[in-house]
Amino acid sequence: MKVTIAMRGTLKKRYGTEERIVEVPEGTTCSQALEAIGIKYQEDKGFGFVSVNSMRCDIETELHDGDYLKAFSKVYGG
Amino acid sequence: MDIRYTRNIGTISEDEQSALATKRVCVVGCGGLGGGVIEGLVRIGVGHLTVVDGDVFDETNLNRQVLSNEDNLGHPKAVEARLQMKTINSNVQIDSVQGLLTEENAAAIIAGHDLVVDALDNMEARLVLEDKCEEAGIPLVHGAIGGWQGQVTVVMPGDCILHQIYEDAEVDKSVKPTNPPFTPAVVSAIEVSEAVKVLLGREEALRGKVLTLDLLNHEYDVIEF
Repeated sequence: MKVTIAMRGTLKKRYGTEERIVEVPEGTTCSQALEAIGIKYQEDKGFGFVSVNSMRCDIETELHDGDYLKAFSKVYGG
Repeated sequence: MDIRYTRNIGTISEDEQSALATKRVCVVGCGGLGGGVIEGLVRIGVGHLTVVDGDVFDETNLNRQVLSNEDNLGHPKAVEARLQMKTINSNVQIDSVQGLLTEENAAAIIAGHDLVVDALDNMEARLVLEDKCEEAGIPLVHGAIGGWQGQVTVVMPGDCILHQIYEDAEVDKSVKPTNPPFTPAVVSAIEVSEAVKVLLGREEALRGKVLTLDLLNHEYDVIEF
């Protein structure tokens, strides 16, 4: 199946500004899709949360064909 | 109606203008976000504000914190907020709390308010604030900034959105925090508009949705939580 992955905020600088359409096996989770394109989110303290199709979801949520995964950086200043 | 509010009418009704004068809002943080939030709420005519900050102004604040100036460096931010805002709208009752928000004092500080606005600068205090607003049943308008990025949401009791945003509250110490003048200006203005909507019971408020902004790339997302 194909999913689209895009970075937001400071994650664009680290992992690329362009959205990517990637081919992943059925049952792939957000976490696995990010790892598939080389993003080790667990090691990145600037990594905030993810959304699928503009809904916030857990990083272990399963993706479906055509899903749009966005990863957001942490924003916490004031 | 006070003539000073003439240009508010149409955006809000005269009845809504009168309603704002009865509302009590607690703004936690009087820095980059807080300065803009406080000024916006004072100018639109919210009746009572409590402004909270334990810090004093220093030279690094001058690039963005609208309450700071070359003459008040070293002065407490919460006290300066009250003094300056009284010169803009003396109809507004303003109390200042000169101290940091903590687990111990948060409940007492926010008690009796219709709304709390988050203008803090760290995740830990925000999580405390969300918990205390939840316990007290008070809506919370959240805003946060960093570099070109910002985010805003409205947390109604029961929603616990900040605990989802900041699931892992660890700070990336490899990145030096940056705060240009334009990001707090934009985010604080959106916080004010959300605060007004919540105070007036408007359904269009960002409840359960987080608006994220990237002013560098002009990307604006609204994510449902």
